Amino acid sequence: MAVSLPPATAQGIPQNIPRKELLILENPEGTIKNAGWFNIWAINAGSQSNGLQQAALDTLWYIDPEKGLDGAWDNSLAAEKPVYNADFTEMRVKLRRGLFWSDGVEFSSADVKATVDIQVKNPGMRFSAVLANNVASVETPDVETVIFKLKKSNSRFHTNFTVRWGAIWILPKHVFEKVEDPAKFDFNKPVSLGAYTLQSFDPDGKWYIWQLREDWQRSSLGRHGKPGPKYLAYIDPGPPDKRVIAQLNHELDVIHDIAPEGMFTLAKQDKGTRAWFKGFPYGHPDPTLPAVIFNTQNEHLKNRDVRWALALMIDVKAVTMAAYRGAATISAIAVPPTGIHPEAYHKPMEAWLKDFEIDTGKSKIKPYDPTVGKQIADMLRPSMGDQIPSDPAVIGNSFGLGWWKTNVAGAGELLTRAGFRKQGNQWLTPDGKPFVVRLMVEGDLRPVMTRAGTMIVQQWKQAGIDARIDVAQGTLLTRRAAGDFDAFIGWSVETWGGHQDLSYFMDSWHSQFVAEPGKPQPLRNWQRWTHPELDKIIEDIRKIDFDDPKGVELGRDYVKLMTREMPIIPLMAYNVFTAMDQTYWKGYPTADDPYANPVTNWGNSRYMFVRLKPAN
Amino acid sequence: MNAYFAYFAKRLVQFVVVVFIGVNLAFVITHASPIDPVEQSIAAVTSFGSTAPDAIAAMRSSLQELYGLKGTLAEQYVTFWSRVLRGDFGPSLSAFPTPVSALIGRALPWTAGLLIVSTLITWVLGNLLGGLAGYYQRSRTLKLMGVVAMGVHPIPYYIVALLLLIVFGFLWPVLPITGGSAMNLQQGWNWPFVSSVARHSILPALSLILIGLGSWFLGMRSLVSNIVTEDYVVYAETAGLDSRRVLGSYVMRNALAPQVTGLAMSLGGIFNGAVITEKVFGYPGVGTLLVDAVYAGDYGLVLGVTTVSIIAVSVGVLVIDLLYPLIDPRVELR
Repeated sequence: MAVSLPPATAQGIPQNIPRKELLILENPEGTIKNAGWFNIWAINAGSQSNGLQQAALDTLWYIDPEKGLDGAWDNSLAAEKPVYNADFTEMRVKLRRGLFWSDGVEFSSADVKATVDIQVKNPGMRFSAVLANNVASVETPDVETVIFKLKKSNSRFHTNFTVRWGAIWILPKHVFEKVEDPAKFDFNKPVSLGAYTLQSFDPDGKWYIWQLREDWQRSSLGRHGKPGPKYLAYIDPGPPDKRVIAQLNHELDVIHDIAPEGMFTLAKQDKGTRAWFKGFPYGHPDPTLPAVIFNTQNEHLKNRDVRWALALMIDVKAVTMAAYRGAATISAIAVPPTGIHPEAYHKPMEAWLKDFEIDTGKSKIKPYDPTVGKQIADMLRPSMGDQIPSDPAVIGNSFGLGWWKTNVAGAGELLTRAGFRKQGNQWLTPDGKPFVVRLMVEGDLRPVMTRAGTMIVQQWKQAGIDARIDVAQGTLLTRRAAGDFDAFIGWSVETWGGHQDLSYFMDSWHSQFVAEPGKPQPLRNWQRWTHPELDKIIEDIRKIDFDDPKGVELGRDYVKLMTREMPIIPLMAYNVFTAMDQTYWKGYPTADDPYANPVTNWGNSRYMFVRLKPAN
Repeated sequence: MNAYFAYFAKRLVQFVVVVFIGVNLAFVITHASPIDPVEQSIAAVTSFGSTAPDAIAAMRSSLQELYGLKGTLAEQYVTFWSRVLRGDFGPSLSAFPTPVSALIGRALPWTAGLLIVSTLITWVLGNLLGGLAGYYQRSRTLKLMGVVAMGVHPIPYYIVALLLLIVFGFLWPVLPITGGSAMNLQQGWNWPFVSSVARHSILPALSLILIGLGSWFLGMRSLVSNIVTEDYVVYAETAGLDSRRVLGSYVMRNALAPQVTGLAMSLGGIFNGAVITEKVFGYPGVGTLLVDAVYAGDYGLVLGVTTVSIIAVSVGVLVIDLLYPLIDPRVELR
């Protein structure tokens, strides 16, 4: 029977849909257990990266981590940027008119108010807490105006309704007002505010197919043009080897993320495959910053000298080779080298970094080496040939600028000043015990970072630290929240990418939110680090507008403080190897035309739909 | 007959005790898991980034309340057993509020369909060929089969599965390599869907059959090799009975008893799902459900799957134990 049927790999092509009208994308959430749930406002109910947030939902604003179709900022359901009052206790929003839900009901301010009110009334819903904590009331003086009265001053409240990869999506009032318990309502079939509606889905959660609305002009995406694909299929293509096979067989147009080796295979075997960079290092730099994150509540790691000593023992070139086979974009500072940040932070701070000096007590060292990115490129050139750029500017964008020179002697001086002593090749703590550092990694769930961590542990061991790899597998989230680690590889810095403001992660770094040892830590200050200067910077940022240029200056102050204190050792951007097959579609976002983030699960990947055109 | 009823009662008590201990162990082990489902949920729902810390603290409290994790372990234990006795495992934590029973109910037909068919095929083929190989020991073809079975048997399962994937999914791409059916088909008793399901099951079933065949083959060959030297077989052959009758009525029938036990346990075990098979081939079954539940710290779902599995294996063993004295006169009731 097998040979009598047409060839097929993966799950084949969706039946009864012309391939030339269909874009097939990977849903990185895999197989969805409760496939028939589309109520994204309920916790854990269904998938959100199955096209629901990319194709069917919408909210007030978007910020693309790249340049965007018409700038990184996009007024989506809102007609203009948010307008705050002087003390940031009120946010006024003007909405677009002429937008309709897929069932023909016109979108209005009532939907925005319902989004807030329904979730505040039902504490178990996804955004209930954030809305209840912030919103005193919502007023809708007319169908196109929404006024949020806030409980306290908050100059970044709008970011809750601003998509980078997700946000608080607007729900349809006319549907939810008829529902008895909104938290237990499956929203199947979903009413769409986006350009697509659900065509069909697999009850076992392997695939979802969306169809372009006939009235796509009445969605907010419509003003950017007609989306190219009439159909979108978000699928679970299986593990990495199957993703590669499926794309080689042209049955998976966009792979969300594969290991570097998979990307190299595709680049070699399929000339139609395109990644963010045309050649090495291929990957799209995510606006996150993988780093060695210390638990600064650990007795020994409280000391800045110890943290800096561990940084100086690292050779980042070897780490990038181990993790990404060199296909990484390094960063010496605590901001990812992606989006707008190289221009806002990395390049302007080069001079400061070159002058930055550490006094070890015995000597003064200037640890910054501005040529490390170039060294990585030079190291790869013999084996990768023409794929490695020679233009310094391109090298800087692709591989990063500088990093810290490996300086084991300097590290030793810092440890000595901290009261440590060396016995043979073994560093002992001030109380005479071997200096043990357990570096937690996620295991095969995140192989790139695991390989980076393994290399760092080896380097620390060679320098005399009793370093150990601590594989957390599925327990990482729990242990990270509980502070049950000495150090781990991951990210606590995550930014907008397309906007220089650092509020995405920074507000939760204020000392008011740092948990006691053993207690769960709120999001993104896993290092549990506090500093009066940091609090001052955060408080100053809270008082200024999102677009205030002073925000960049405060951001640079933050970078300087982080460099001096080293509570995390920044390594590199999280490179996402998104592979895009050009057999059926052309016009994908790339480093040459960075109009959108190409990663399939991000809400703003919807912008690629309007730029994609049939290849033939 | 009284002896059989005593035996029946004893086995029934053993069954209840085994199930009770097994389910309790499953409860203890899952609750000793270092994975916190609340933190997993928080990480999932706050991954868009702009959630303030005080909101997260409020969310943590709401989730603990919602998931029923605020009570003591003893209270959770009582709730758990009261639900199990009603056949209700509560809601899944990682797919809240979908009931665990609904998730298992959706996954089980896939696993059962694949594993029952492949287990029966493997069992029948393995025993048949093994029996023939043990009886006709001079047959070159059957000897060669023995060599192949011994060669394939120790190969790790995932190697065989990956080889099949590469051969039939990439080098000669004629078979689907993932999923249970093609996309955009209406699930039900319609030909496009049924044929698609059959086609998608070929590679996973083939991998299971290739690996499973060897152990049944070797086991049966060994049993038959011993039985052919028994007096009653030698007597039957000496008496001039037809060799097919000797093989069927005297050899295979006596050799099958332990193999039937193995089959019953294998069939009971399908409720675990074929974890590696389902993962490698992206098959939508109970194995995948279980692994995902473990990673998500979804106590309810893990407990649901393991409880169903414990009961299924125990029932399988119980049924065999109860049937044995009736079908095999060598089993003595004491």
